[in-house]
Amino acid sequence: MQVTSEILERAIEQLTKLPGTGRKSAQRIAMHLLKQSDDYVFKLAQALIDLKESVDHCSICHNISDQNPCSICSSVKRHTGIICVVEDPKDVYTIEKTGEFNGRYHVLGGTISPLDNIGPDDIRIKELMDRVHDEEEEVNEIILALNPDSEGEATSYYINKLLKHHEIDVTRIAYGIPMGTELEYIDEATLSRAFSSRNSF
Amino acid sequence: MHITWLKLQNFRNHTEREVEWAPHLNVVTGPNGAGKTNLIDAIHYLCMSRSFVANSDRYVVHEDQSFFILKGLFHGSIRSEFEVTCSYSKGEGKKVFVNDSPLERLSDLIGRVPVVVLCPEDRKLTSEGPSERRSFIDAFISQINPPYLQDLIDYRKVRRQRNNLLQEFQYDRSTKEAYLEPWDQQLVDAGARIVAKRNQVIKQFQEYLHQQYDMITGLKHRTFLEYQTFCEPSSDPETIRDRYWDKLEEYREKELEREVTIVGPHRDEIVFYLDDKELRRYGSQGQHRLFALALKLAQLFYFTDELDDLPIFLLDDVFGDLDPHKIEVLLNALIDHAGQIFVTSANPIPFEEYVNFDGEKNRRWQIEEGVLERRD
Repeated sequence: MQVTSEILERAIEQLTKLPGTGRKSAQRIAMHLLKQSDDYVFKLAQALIDLKESVDHCSICHNISDQNPCSICSSVKRHTGIICVVEDPKDVYTIEKTGEFNGRYHVLGGTISPLDNIGPDDIRIKELMDRVHDEEEEVNEIILALNPDSEGEATSYYINKLLKHHEIDVTRIAYGIPMGTELEYIDEATLSRAFSSRNSF
Repeated sequence: MHITWLKLQNFRNHTEREVEWAPHLNVVTGPNGAGKTNLIDAIHYLCMSRSFVANSDRYVVHEDQSFFILKGLFHGSIRSEFEVTCSYSKGEGKKVFVNDSPLERLSDLIGRVPVVVLCPEDRKLTSEGPSERRSFIDAFISQINPPYLQDLIDYRKVRRQRNNLLQEFQYDRSTKEAYLEPWDQQLVDAGARIVAKRNQVIKQFQEYLHQQYDMITGLKHRTFLEYQTFCEPSSDPETIRDRYWDKLEEYREKELEREVTIVGPHRDEIVFYLDDKELRRYGSQGQHRLFALALKLAQLFYFTDELDDLPIFLLDDVFGDLDPHKIEVLLNALIDHAGQIFVTSANPIPFEEYVNFDGEKNRRWQIEEGVLERRD
């Protein structure tokens, strides 16, 4: 194949690295961008640069944020004593959308997985313990909201163990049946979990 | 449960084929290599998402093609009618759809259409190593108890994670033990449930096996399955959990030294006995074959009793090497079974004396040089 534009080719190569983008899609995006107005493309480029340069991490919860501490950690309306532990920032968004939780978060940035060479020291467990020991935070409950896969479970076990001798309630979100579905269509694993963690009516 | 319609595309030597099956007995005859087994293997795919013959999906695709598609229409008592599609392509791998909606995991398919297979490969069950018997019991229980399959999947994953941790050299001893704990916990949880379930099912299965062996041979030999695991077996998961923790403690040193998970159901064995003698060591050729036959028939009757829907029974090329008396016994058992049955054979089987091939309840096919023809 003969390449007529090295520059175009380079853009396609970069786009191919995006998640869920194959070569075909990358080509389409590159051609699309080429056809757009300068203004639009520069704005997009600037947004990407800002994303990397200006987006900060909250030093308390480690969520992505424009300011440090983030708006959740600095809000006076949120309970300070309850921390909800999640795997990554998108989980914070998901839980925030429910409006159900009024405490603060702690973003671990991953879960323990020896197969991927991720041990407890590679995620922010130490930072969580620092917050627990921080007297100003007055932590009295930790809610574990990790994925119910074996890595999430292992991480929950590990954190629970570390918190054992602290005067803190450790809870986890329930396993259950998604709203709006019928029992018939639920996979048996979920259903049997829901059964074993049923609560009184 | 029965399949009324099957469509194959690029599946082994079938480039394009549609078959309408009878609700009871279906007999396919034809020379070796004509594609008889592939027809019923396609049905197995739609029940278990894999072949009962080939080890890899790649070998199942028609020579010159890069994909295969199977479709089947099933009728059952709970869901009156549903369509299962199984597709495979070299790029995208295997996918399963029920009524055109994709299943998130292939394992979600298993148990929808219970199936029992009797085939020449069954001799591995009685003569080869323990992994053959573990996969038999796993496929067995998974079909009647879906949470068991989930436990198997979880267990395998946890064991891989744990082995990886055991091989890690950068941690000191106490760190490693602290890091192992969350994995031990999950290993014991899933592992104990697996052991308890295996023990429970094997216990209930003994009587079925005994009956079938009696029926086929007419001899009063005593069959026995001995379940061997890392501790004294029990059907209570809690009891196993305690014993599992003890054993794990006992083998801690060894596991750290050999850097692999030693204690667990992944090393279980089921020993087959005939009159207190180990079949694998002392059984004759004939005894091996009859034991395997009895195992599968017993599975069929166990499923029939345990499940709401009758299992589909696939018999691949098993009539060839049975003596006339055993053929008669087997045929009678098949005719008594109310569920759907598929039989392949290179030679015509003397079914006429027992079955009326009316084209409604029972159908016959002949396959030769790529042509499938109904003969009733």
